[in-house]
Amino acid sequence: MHEMGIACSIIEAVEKELLRYPGCRATKVGVRIGEFAGVDGESLRFCFEAMVKDSPYAPLELGIEARGGDELDLGWIELDEMETGRGQAEAPVPHLKEACA
Amino acid sequence: MIQVPVERKVLSENERVAAELRTALEVTGTLALNFIGSPGAGKTAFLERTLQLLRAGTRAAVLTGDIQTENDAIRLGRYGYPVRQITTAGACHLDARMVEKYMWEWRFEEFELLFIENVGNLVCPTSYDLGEDGKVVVLSVAEGEDKPLKYPGIFRKAELMILNKVDLLPYVPFKAELACEYARRINPAIEIIRTSAITGAGFDQWMSWLDLRAEKKRAGNNRAAAASHAGAFQQI
Repeated sequence: MHEMGIACSIIEAVEKELLRYPGCRATKVGVRIGEFAGVDGESLRFCFEAMVKDSPYAPLELGIEARGGDELDLGWIELDEMETGRGQAEAPVPHLKEACA
Repeated sequence: MIQVPVERKVLSENERVAAELRTALEVTGTLALNFIGSPGAGKTAFLERTLQLLRAGTRAAVLTGDIQTENDAIRLGRYGYPVRQITTAGACHLDARMVEKYMWEWRFEEFELLFIENVGNLVCPTSYDLGEDGKVVVLSVAEGEDKPLKYPGIFRKAELMILNKVDLLPYVPFKAELACEYARRINPAIEIIRTSAITGAGFDQWMSWLDLRAEKKRAGNNRAAAASHAGAFQQI
């Protein structure tokens, strides 16, 4: 089941994107999945939620937009400012990195 | 709360490595084909027969992926060509980083043909670009003829479908014409060759296809080189 690997890639992409927004946390990430992409949306959601649960990223949500082609793209991220001023980019999540290695 | 657009591939890291591999293969004119099919479709037997039929002196190499065991590399290694086994230890597909890792001690320019046998699976390998020139889907007549409809992703992305094990057609209820119709319904441009790795049926056609595809790659490479020289000349 490669959806776990894809969930890892999404979280890694969120991590990278957060570096551009110090002091922010991601609340939701949107992906576009084509019907020929070879990815099952519900399996991906299951894997994504399992990875995010109990991590510093919780409760990061996954938004899925179904498309017609074979795309598998990130579309957008919703961000909130953190009250502490210390964003997720400054709070690394090593256990996720290990899981994705 | 703000929403920021992020226009990038989910598998952007894989895409980056695949692009590097593709560039390296372009420079050397190496034709790389990624073989994808169900477990038991006959991918390894197909490649064994192919290696046997290559003209003497052909510079070919094989990367073969499986979750466990070196069995396929042992089989494919009998024909005198460099072969490396990629054992994924659970992963259901090859990705570009695996290919890069296993290619690092080979020099691309040593090869005109690179065969990549993916892990047996019709779904997951479809998502991962390996930097190859084309995907070849292997479907056997021991499966259902509606596989192209059930697993459209790979049939949509493949440029060639090998309909394998045709020697079994008298003994199985597989409707070959229907399978081909389904494949073309998903991908009108897909080419189809019917083969048997046991009897050798269809391999003349396959080897001709391979020759033509390798020639096309070399010609494209030469054109690119010529354009590059012309560009350099204009700059002078």
